[in-house]
This record gives sequence, C-alpha cells and structure tokens, in this order.
Amino acid sequence: MSRRGVGLGAFANRTQATQSYATHGANLRSTHLSSLQTQLSVFQSLLHTFALEHSSTIKSNPTFRAEFARMCNTIGVDPLAASNVKGKNSRRGLGEGGSFWTQIMGGDMNDFYFEVAVRVVELCRETRAENGGLIGVEECRNRVGVPAERYGSLTILCSYRDDILRAVRSLEPLASGFSIVRVGSKQYIRSIPKELNTDQATVLEAIQVLGFVSVSMLRLNLTWEKARAQTVIDDLVADGLVWVDAQGPEKEYWSPQNLLDDSG
Amino acid sequence: MTTTTSFPFPPTYNFPPFFTPQPNSNTRLSQLEKWSSLIQAWCRHHRQYRLSLVDAIDTPLFHNALLRKRLDLAAARDVLDWMTKSEEEGGGGRRAEWLDASTGGNAAPKSVAYIWWRRPEEWADVVADWVENTGQRGAVLTVYELIQGEATVSQDFHGMDNDVMMKTLNILVKRGKIQIFGNEGEEGVKFF
Repeated sequence: MSRRGVGLGAFANRTQATQSYATHGANLRSTHLSSLQTQLSVFQSLLHTFALEHSSTIKSNPTFRAEFARMCNTIGVDPLAASNVKGKNSRRGLGEGGSFWTQIMGGDMNDFYFEVAVRVVELCRETRAENGGLIGVEECRNRVGVPAERYGSLTILCSYRDDILRAVRSLEPLASGFSIVRVGSKQYIRSIPKELNTDQATVLEAIQVLGFVSVSMLRLNLTWEKARAQTVIDDLVADGLVWVDAQGPEKEYWSPQNLLDDSG
Repeated sequence: MTTTTSFPFPPTYNFPPFFTPQPNSNTRLSQLEKWSSLIQAWCRHHRQYRLSLVDAIDTPLFHNALLRKRLDLAAARDVLDWMTKSEEEGGGGRRAEWLDASTGGNAAPKSVAYIWWRRPEEWADVVADWVENTGQRGAVLTVYELIQGEATVSQDFHGMDNDVMMKTLNILVKRGKIQIFGNEGEEGVKFF
C-alpha cells in the first residue's frame, strides 16, 4: 500500500500511480504471455519431434498410441481435430491443412482412424437388427480389424478400445448420432440416437452381471413392482436391445451382445 | 447321409432366445436370417438337398439338447416359409422351396422343402463351368453319370438329389447350353 498524499497534488499523484501500475501490469502480462507462448511452442515442437522420432512405435504399438493420444489430450491438442474444421476443436498454431496426426504421420494416421470409423459404422448398421443399435466396444473391437499391409510395412492393428473410441469420436462432426454410452462396467457404441432411462440401464447392467434377467429376478433383486419391471423389459424388447427366451418356466431376457462372434 | 466330421454350430446356436420366435420385428428379422444361414450350412454340410420337417425337428439342427431348447414344428415351418419368399417379399431370398403334394409324395403340404444352399441357377453355373473347364462341350453323358459318375467325384454336385439335378439341367436347357433326351429315369444330356 502506498502512502496516501494530502492536498491537491494527491490527485495528480494518484492518477500517475494508477497509470504506472497499469503499465507495469501490462508489461508483466506480456512477459508472461510471451514466455508462455515460448514454452508452448517449445513444448509443441518437442512433442512434434517426439512424435516424429517415435512415429513407427506410435503406429505399431496400440498401448503407446493410446498413451500418446492421452498426453496430447491432456495438454489440449486434439490429434484428430483438423485445423480446417471450424469450431471448438480447431486450434491455432498447428500449421495449415490436416490434423496434428496428419502433420506428424504424413497422413496415414488420420486415414487409419477414418477407416476404423467406416468399419465401425458398417458393423453397427449390419448388426442393428440384431442388437437394437447398441454394440459393446469390446465386441466391436473383436470384429473391426484393419489389415496391416494397407499401411506399408508398419503393423497397424486396431486392437485397442482406445482406437475404437477415437474413431467413433471422429464421427462427431458429421452429426452421425454415433456416441459412446456407459452402462455399468461396459462401454457401448450407440448408433441409434435414443436415450436409455435409468431403469433400462439398470436392467442392462443386471444382464451383464447375471447373463439374463426375468421379471421375478428384477422384483427380488431391485425390489421393483411387477408393473415397473415388466414395463422396463417391454421397452427393451421393443427397442430390440434384448431377446426373449420363452421356453423356461418364466420368460428370460438375454442381451444379444455375445452373438457378435457369429461372423456370418 | 453320413458325415464323419461334426457340424460346427455358430455361437447363435448356444443363445437360448434363438429358439423362441422374437416379438420385436427387427429382432425377428435378424433371427430369421440367422436361422436361414444355419439351415443352409447344415444342409450343405450334410449334402442334404431337401429337409423334411418331421424328420429334422428332433435332430440337433432344431433341438439343442445341451440347452434343452428347441424350435418347434410351427416355428421351424415359419422359418422355412420365410426362406421361400424372395427378398422383395420381405423373405430370405428364396433359399428354400416347398415340395408340393404331387412332387413330395404323400406328405402333407409344407412338410418337406428343398433347401437351396445353392439355388438351381447357381448349380447350373457350377455344372456349366465344369463342362467348360473339362473340355466336355459336345459330349454326351447320362444324368446318372453326372450325379454318380467317377468323373464328377470331386465336384460339389456329385451325389446330388436327382430332382435337383433335373431342375438344374432344365435351367441349362432354357439357357440353350444343353439338350436332354431319353426316357424319364434314364435321361441323357448333350452339352453344347
């Protein structure tokens, strides 16, 4: 705190003091900014070098790729966002044309994710009648593979859920309605834009754990009224999310997720 | 028909609801497609050209003893019915065809069906290719030789159902590729 002047001169002094504070503040800010900018650009160029140096590992090792992508996300670099995409994902300072991946990988990383995305879309469409548009990320991963030879000598196999998730996310700008939902411990790709309500999610979770459910099981385990249990199940059947087995003493409801190994 | 190797059932076969007709129409469609491909695969594996529902209903095809689930007669008939329809009619692409009472013997209607794991037109292509590739244009063979002859042992149509072979040959006649002559039961075929 500065000493407060007395008399008329104090007014002039105060204006002066305010001005010098402002200048000093501006100076500090700009120094900070420029040092931060330097840091950021240094970091980005380091990241760039790192990516280039390890590009073959990034391409061939799914774990490494996932970690690298995670690191990029943490510092606010979306590897998939192309700089020509308008919106919150576009970032300045990454040069023109193509995404971060494209820049460091010479294009084929993007192609890779787009190809995975196309396969995910195909699989979702093919199996929509079977599973009502809800497909486990794991099941999807087992069915979606990209032939390695397509990407030169480098082995790219889409063997990690991270790749699938990233590919689905890359569809978002298309307003495709594809999204990731979590039910219980499992992640699903939802290809029909429809919300699951809490009860439906609970029942699907129960099926994950128990294999199947019946109305009386729901009443016993969740202490639901019969009508509530029946309604939820009827809704799930109507959405094609569960299949009915009517050959037991009571109707049993199964999730079609494990049918996916059935490569027709 | 006996085969030494056991039929590899798809995972669907171990999914209990597979044996209950599904109430949701989309799910049902998916289920019918799975049944259709299972039945076709089963018949192909056993070199079976026609399926008698009454006989097949207790075989492992329709009866999963392990799960104690079965597709009952009516449900199995629905599947075959669906298979007989073309895709335009919302069916399974004519992958089956009911034998009518006259050709199916004394059996009741919709009890025996051809299962077209290859449709007659597709069989016609196979036979025509074989003739072409073995340089037999202009040759004359009996139908018996075609089905049972040593020359066709390696071919898929060896041991084929006689009626199916005749359907196949009739298609080739229409295409102008062959001519059939001789009495019924001992027909001969000339390839052009």
